[in-house]
Amino acid sequence: MAEPLLSVRDLQVRFRSGGQSLRAVDGVSFDLMPGQTLGIVGESGCGKSVTSLSIMRLLPSPPAMIEGGQVLLQGRDLLKLSEAEMRKLRGGRMGMIFQEPMTSLNPVYTCGDQIIESLRIHSGLKGKDARDRAIELLTLVRLPSPEKRVDDYPHQLSGGQRQRVMIALALANDPAVLIADEPTTALDVTIQSQILDLMRDLQDRTGTAIMLITHDLGVVAETCQQVVVMYAGAVIEKGEVQQIFQDPQHPYTIGLMAAVPRMDTARGRLATIPGAVPPPWQAIPGCRFAGRCPLADDRCRKSPPPLRPITAGHEVACWKAPIEGARA
Amino acid sequence: MSATDTQTPAAAPQDAAPVHKSWWRALMRDRAAMLALILLTIIVIAAIIAPLIAPHDPNLNSRSVMQPPVWTERGTWEFILGTDGQGRDILSRILYGTRLTLLIGLVAVGIGGVIGSGLGLLASMYPKIDPWVMRLNDMMLSFPAILLGLALVAVAGPGVWPVIVALGIASIPDCARIARSIGIGVMGQEYIEAGRAVGLSDWTIFRRYLLRNSISSIMIFLSLRFGQVILIGAALSFLGLGARPPASELGMMAAQGRDFLLFAPHIATIPSVVIFLIVLCANVAGDALRDVLDPRLKS
Repeated sequence: MAEPLLSVRDLQVRFRSGGQSLRAVDGVSFDLMPGQTLGIVGESGCGKSVTSLSIMRLLPSPPAMIEGGQVLLQGRDLLKLSEAEMRKLRGGRMGMIFQEPMTSLNPVYTCGDQIIESLRIHSGLKGKDARDRAIELLTLVRLPSPEKRVDDYPHQLSGGQRQRVMIALALANDPAVLIADEPTTALDVTIQSQILDLMRDLQDRTGTAIMLITHDLGVVAETCQQVVVMYAGAVIEKGEVQQIFQDPQHPYTIGLMAAVPRMDTARGRLATIPGAVPPPWQAIPGCRFAGRCPLADDRCRKSPPPLRPITAGHEVACWKAPIEGARA
Repeated sequence: MSATDTQTPAAAPQDAAPVHKSWWRALMRDRAAMLALILLTIIVIAAIIAPLIAPHDPNLNSRSVMQPPVWTERGTWEFILGTDGQGRDILSRILYGTRLTLLIGLVAVGIGGVIGSGLGLLASMYPKIDPWVMRLNDMMLSFPAILLGLALVAVAGPGVWPVIVALGIASIPDCARIARSIGIGVMGQEYIEAGRAVGLSDWTIFRRYLLRNSISSIMIFLSLRFGQVILIGAALSFLGLGARPPASELGMMAAQGRDFLLFAPHIATIPSVVIFLIVLCANVAGDALRDVLDPRLKS
């Protein structure tokens, strides 16, 4: 298999708050292959966004502290780079799209200005060249009449249009990696699918690898090749998208799949997973999910299960795996 | 792929004229702001060209003492706004006094605004220095401007400049507080993170993101502060700290007129009205300035 483009190894992130030290991300590892889309799934507060911000080294410090691990971009450890080197990568080799298109653009500058600024910093483009490239990018993200839009302020655009501008901004300098932190969560459903289509299409054209953070399993099924499922700051299952969807092995993933509303099965109440994610200050000796798991026994509560392969490319952190006929 | 999201009503402003040219029109539409701006411009110009248009020497005592303004029974065109208790032409003194008053207001607010807002915004951007800046601020806040003025006058001798410096320094902590709270709100916005994700340097983030998005709110505060500073400056003159007689300053003129309030009220009221107009116009125009600086409010 090819070398991974971006490789996260045993990432540890803590937050210090009022003398307490909270573990937000605990030993997360995954690989992003060139040209592929990796989905990171999990419920709110499980460490998805902290992971992505750690990769970009955008976590505010204090309170956040990256305590260990490596983030390798083509073999180079980003956690060891100086801030100046990191700045060159951000917006250059690595682009990022945020959740809230309504507030992610600087309201006092035009869309064009913001793209041109990034082009100036990273590609050294100036004047008319930069402006032409900005219009070209806006055309690429299928913003209508880009020659006019380039001079529009963000407040003059709709949410979907702003997200397109954000994508154009993220792609401005042909990044190798695009990190999309819930890019469609704040958009309504029809726009969601347009934006996802657009991202897929741009990936085909540019070969950018995408790390897609989401809590929407439908989005994952549609766009990703690889999936990482996170729970309470740790990876509990990862594999190819078919493996995760056809044969989920962690009871949490099984629960998640069962909780997705389906058109084809009998109606009734949707399945839920009882309980809530343990708060980060709670010390858990065993499996993080044991408190909510229907299968948990004493071993689960006492010793944490390691992430281990079940089949080729499919890893699960559960003592009970493989679970037969687990599909909901 | 369809283009439905591009044709929603939310996209309506696309027909509007290029935004950066329409601020002038937006200002024209706001009658009060327009009026305030015109009046303020007239006052400022009149103050600047005071030596050219003043009908008399502002410090020359004439024989007609406490002459009422021209619109009263005993008024004459020689002294349009009348004369004060020492027979000096009030119009000329107002023109020269406005100069000094505006100078005090602008320079003091300039000192306080630049240093204070700079410190406040830096504190909001770097949580590490925030407690230090704010404690320093608290110390400065607990030191009254009038006392500071007295101390500076004691050191540097009486005059306008010690008062301006004192008022400027006294404005720093207030500006810093306001700027910090505005800045913290701006720093919490997602576009700051997005700007960092594009690889912008701290200096660019500060200048183009933080400052640019805070300045309209800070401006409003500064325009209010401008009014306050003029009033405190007048109070200091009244105490004999600021402009020294015979130089004219609006606050001092009002103070001098207070002795004749019963039989020649115009001596105190005219400078007071001018102070009132300057402060009012500055506040209204400051509000309009916010609209000019913030593209979201233009359309």
